[in-house]
Amino acid sequence: MMVKVRAFALFREILGKERDMDIPEGSTILSLLEAIGSASPAFREEAFDLSGGLKDYVLLMVNKKRIDPLNDLFLSLAEGDELAIFPPVAGG
Amino acid sequence: MIEITEKEISLEEMLQRAKRDDSGAIVTFVGTVRDDGIKMMEVEAFAEAAAAEIEQIRSEAIERFGLMSVQVTHRTGRLAVGESIVAIVCSAPHRAEAFEGCRYIIDELKKRAPIWKKEMVENGERWVRQNGGS
Repeated sequence: MMVKVRAFALFREILGKERDMDIPEGSTILSLLEAIGSASPAFREEAFDLSGGLKDYVLLMVNKKRIDPLNDLFLSLAEGDELAIFPPVAGG
Repeated sequence: MIEITEKEISLEEMLQRAKRDDSGAIVTFVGTVRDDGIKMMEVEAFAEAAAAEIEQIRSEAIERFGLMSVQVTHRTGRLAVGESIVAIVCSAPHRAEAFEGCRYIIDELKKRAPIWKKEMVENGERWVRQNGGS
């Protein structure tokens, strides 16, 4: 199934603004992040710690709703979902 | 009205929109690019999500402080020192609510809206961390 990945700030510089990814049906948010990390070592280094956990610094939205990194990483994605990846915000 | 835009902010237009017969106070906040030895600043937003988050903050401020009108404009793109990054205009029946509401909106915007700033300095560039700035 196809999902869209959008990246902002530091992660946009690593991954580009957006990309469509073809992932297996039922893939979780975490498995998508790992797939992105496999394709981009720079992203893997920036987003994951040495034990493979997602760094606190990585913030996520699915379809523009915040994802709780403690509880929601194992939620399944659906066709057409949009995952946004960004660092802590600093506007204003 | 909530706006994320590459265009220059017109505080005058925002003030006109904020004027109401039932309000006796209008408070404005303008955040500008400070010269911390930088050449330029680049502002990036997840525009749709930022607008939705600021809309939520606006609703909270109206509910908490009884504001009659809230205008927020946040710029994106390349900005020079002295240019406005964000402007907030709040009107309320009395000044206390207008001041408090305006303060609430800028504080929450800085914590919650998906917007980022990068400073261009002499030797390169750096992303601004949370809780810094205006």
